[in-house]
Amino acid sequence: MLLSAIILLFGATVTYAQQARYTVSGYVKDKQNGESLIGISVGKPGTSIGTVTNQYGFYSITLPAGEQELQFSYIGYSNFKTTLNLQKNTTLDVKLEASSSQLNEVTIRCDKQEKAINTINTSINRLDIAQMKAMPTFMGEVDVLRAIQTLPGVNTVGEGASGFNVRGGNSDENLILLDEAPVYNSTHMLGFFSVFNPDAVKSLNLIKGGFPAEYGGRTSSVLDIRMKDGNNQKLALNGGIGNIFSRLSLEAPIVKDKSSFIVAARRSYIDVLMKPFVKGDMKDTKLNFYDLTAKANYKFNSNNTLFLSGYFGRDVFGFGKDVNMNWGNATATLRWNHVFNNRLFLNLSTYYSKYDYSLQFSNESKKSSTEEQQGYDWTSNIINYGVKPSFTYYLNSANTLHFGVHGVYYTFKPGTGIGTEGNDQHVKTLPDKHALESAVYVDHEYKPNKHFGIQYGLRVSSYQLLGSGFEYYYADTTPGIRKRLLEIKEYGAGEKMKGYHYFEPRASIRYAFNDQNAVKVAYSRTTQFMHQLSNTASPTPLDIWTPSTNNIEPMVADQYTVGYFYNAPNDNYEVSAEVFYKTTDHQLDYIDNANLQLNPLIEADLLPSQGRAYGLELYAKKDIGKTTGWVSYTLSRTERKTPGISLNEWFLNRYDRTHNLNLVLTHTFTKRTSLSANWVFASGTPATFADNRLEFQDWDIPYNSTEKRNNYRLAPYHRLDLSVTLKGKQLKRWKGEWVFSLYNVYARRNAYTVYFRQNPDNPDLKEAVRFSIIGSIIPGITYNFKF
Amino acid sequence: MKKLLLYISIIIAGAFTACEDAINLNVPNGQSYPVLDAWITNETGIQKIRITMSVPYTQGGTAPVVDDAKLTVHDLTSGDSYAFTYNNGYYTYDASAKAIGVVGHVYKLHMEYKGEILEGLDSLKRVPPVDSITYEFKTKEQSISGKEGYYARFYAKDLKSNVDYYWIRSYRNDTTRRLEDNFSIDGSYDEGVSDGGSFILPIAEGITDYDKPFQSGEKIIVRLSSLSKPSYDFLTQVNEQVNAGGLFAKVLENVKSNMQNTTANGKVKVLGRFGTSAVSRAEVTVK
Repeated sequence: MLLSAIILLFGATVTYAQQARYTVSGYVKDKQNGESLIGISVGKPGTSIGTVTNQYGFYSITLPAGEQELQFSYIGYSNFKTTLNLQKNTTLDVKLEASSSQLNEVTIRCDKQEKAINTINTSINRLDIAQMKAMPTFMGEVDVLRAIQTLPGVNTVGEGASGFNVRGGNSDENLILLDEAPVYNSTHMLGFFSVFNPDAVKSLNLIKGGFPAEYGGRTSSVLDIRMKDGNNQKLALNGGIGNIFSRLSLEAPIVKDKSSFIVAARRSYIDVLMKPFVKGDMKDTKLNFYDLTAKANYKFNSNNTLFLSGYFGRDVFGFGKDVNMNWGNATATLRWNHVFNNRLFLNLSTYYSKYDYSLQFSNESKKSSTEEQQGYDWTSNIINYGVKPSFTYYLNSANTLHFGVHGVYYTFKPGTGIGTEGNDQHVKTLPDKHALESAVYVDHEYKPNKHFGIQYGLRVSSYQLLGSGFEYYYADTTPGIRKRLLEIKEYGAGEKMKGYHYFEPRASIRYAFNDQNAVKVAYSRTTQFMHQLSNTASPTPLDIWTPSTNNIEPMVADQYTVGYFYNAPNDNYEVSAEVFYKTTDHQLDYIDNANLQLNPLIEADLLPSQGRAYGLELYAKKDIGKTTGWVSYTLSRTERKTPGISLNEWFLNRYDRTHNLNLVLTHTFTKRTSLSANWVFASGTPATFADNRLEFQDWDIPYNSTEKRNNYRLAPYHRLDLSVTLKGKQLKRWKGEWVFSLYNVYARRNAYTVYFRQNPDNPDLKEAVRFSIIGSIIPGITYNFKF
Repeated sequence: MKKLLLYISIIIAGAFTACEDAINLNVPNGQSYPVLDAWITNETGIQKIRITMSVPYTQGGTAPVVDDAKLTVHDLTSGDSYAFTYNNGYYTYDASAKAIGVVGHVYKLHMEYKGEILEGLDSLKRVPPVDSITYEFKTKEQSISGKEGYYARFYAKDLKSNVDYYWIRSYRNDTTRRLEDNFSIDGSYDEGVSDGGSFILPIAEGITDYDKPFQSGEKIIVRLSSLSKPSYDFLTQVNEQVNAGGLFAKVLENVKSNMQNTTANGKVKVLGRFGTSAVSRAEVTVK
């Protein structure tokens, strides 16, 4: 309804405009490899009229009839200028040529629409794979999640922690999308490496606030990762050999200019290298991960393109034949890009995403002949299916409408445990949960002139828990202790259980004083219906996701942002300053000694909590020249208040860091050598310390008599990383480079946690212990090649 | 289950040069509370209860003893009561003739302290025998921890039907100092996945300190105790709190006592716990 009202409102303008104006639209691609280019500026030189290509490389711009000059530009690409004699709506596909102009300092002068100063949205950071590749690496590996941790407003509880925290949000409040399919566990090796293969990644957008209405379902951020389409011009082979794992990717046209594919794989091989050296219990140790990322596309004609992409990855651990654990994600996305006419663009995405884990152990290799065969299996998973048609209607050069719907169906299998002994089998299954999340949204982007722009919209989201399933009702007790079960209500298949509905208004406004200075304000409300249950220092791969129910209310966050953006006159650098304030209702907290695994009455152990976060983010970035990079600084605080915890007072979240400074610099000495450096400084995370010990049954139990949580802070975290890239002779086909990296150059032992223990060698000695995940300098060597 | 994850995180962390360093923290002294350490069993001999004052965590030596409390254990099922008397650091009762604990009975500890009355309850559950302990020599290369020595396991079978909670504690040579603690439900890690079977391997093999395996001539002692569900919850929480290292560390939580102050407007707060167990033991000397 809202949509039709808006269309009506602009209908008049449209009819009027059509008499004198025509629309030019098309796709922008890279000339060398045919990749669609995202965020390319398309504009009329010397005017404020312009647009940018969308996530699929499509643009549409409406101009007066007659001679019109159009310019396409993007950093790292040669400018493309063309003159059209507009007498009708025109389709214009453009291929841009990558230039090495960054080195030659050929600056591209024009109104660059993709610059932060020119977009309406605030709180968005965009990184290209080229920028990520220039950063120092951990063990020689380019890592998407490590890259975003250098951006303002993003931090983590420590290296090796799975997940990241955006603007004071918990790690489960980030929507991580790989070609639009949500990814539930974004790391390999318990948190050390991200699951995204850099060879298959094109770019990423991190949205921290001022969310466009298109996005929903998580309260803190959207990390939108887009995969490469695959080279549709010629066969290309990319790879890397490193000390932890190796990568290989192949891309090639299926039909030149029309269709292409990419397949990229990685595998770690510590255990294979270890194999000759271990025996006994370590003999069959498995410790590896692998992933496969693939995508194919087919362009039927200039109006229809189909994309199919998928990811499959697993982490495998095992000791001997007796213990086996593995977990991983699988996603698949099918997309159809359809151009109805020069102004109406549709992307229809359907996706599937699954995360599962399995643990098994048996006594097979160790049992004596008289013993019975014994085994234990535990499995759990979350699956979802989504469909998302999203339309973009380019009304005229000042008005664009984004609208669509989004539906997701979830199935949760919280856990099945099977114990066997001989022929005797015991099965414990927690009942499945099902939920339907749906939303309609509309966003109106209005840019009447060079100075003013507004994007406002509404997302109406609806959530329905569906049978078959059980609703549990608990007695109200003193907050902080396990709730007593009163009643269980059973629902049949497909029956409606608890439901929730929300209106989520969103708005962003930009005002530019001139080409150098702009201010932006934004407000957004976001909701979240899925929660990850975790009460350890960082989430484990076994921490399950659970839907909102009658006991778990959805999270609702309101965020206000104000920002100032400066762009240096010659585009040499850009600077921004943003402040944000965010409140979140119904975050989850846990009673002491909560039982989160294989527990049917898990909701009796959960507590609703109120959250608030605020901060200042400063960011300066230089894209052009021999020295490039960025500096980001965040001053922030994130707290929560939970009845029954910490004397019912506000306390700091585990991921609070007052100061967080990141310096990322790359200097290119010659065409073949470059050096990168990354320095991080962050306040220590809050921690709860024991001020007492209790002597009990030969244990010394740490005890905190203040009853206040997170009332201390660990020592500040800081770290320097360096890497040198030496490119070999860049032959016509074979291009190779060595990357030497040093992580934690001055070998600082940053505290991950502090805990209390009896000294293992001298139990009479009671001590506080700092646990550092990285205790030394870590070198890495990788050889990357392209063919 | 969490233990498995712990092993993995140790190996991975090891690969990434993880390390632990004792550090000095400047934590102001907190409020000190009396700590009750009372665990009554079905074994004959002297039964001991200890009350100390809590001390700052890193303070050395043993904690100061509280000697002015009055303690009585009541068997609520049989109606018998047992008065404990203070002597040389412990409140004791000589149960040489007849054990206090009887399987299936419910017990109450009555404590009079500073003019107020505190009481706690627990029930004494059944326990199976420990059938045997075996051990196996492993070289540095063969052992997961890289330490040469004897790695032991015990054999016991969960009792059929009902949900049974167990506490397995091992000792080296004598019982003055604990070695390893493991907890089990029905011989496994969870309710409903086994019944009446042997204790599963990770628990059965959990009696060895992997950093210091047994050596020739040492005695391996295993004590298997039954637990009520509340005692199981309490002790597993204690166990998590005293082993809080690693990648997936639990945050510090205070363990809650079962001693309730029954005095009107009572002010005394006592930490620790009153618990009861049936106990079976086995030992073997490494030859």
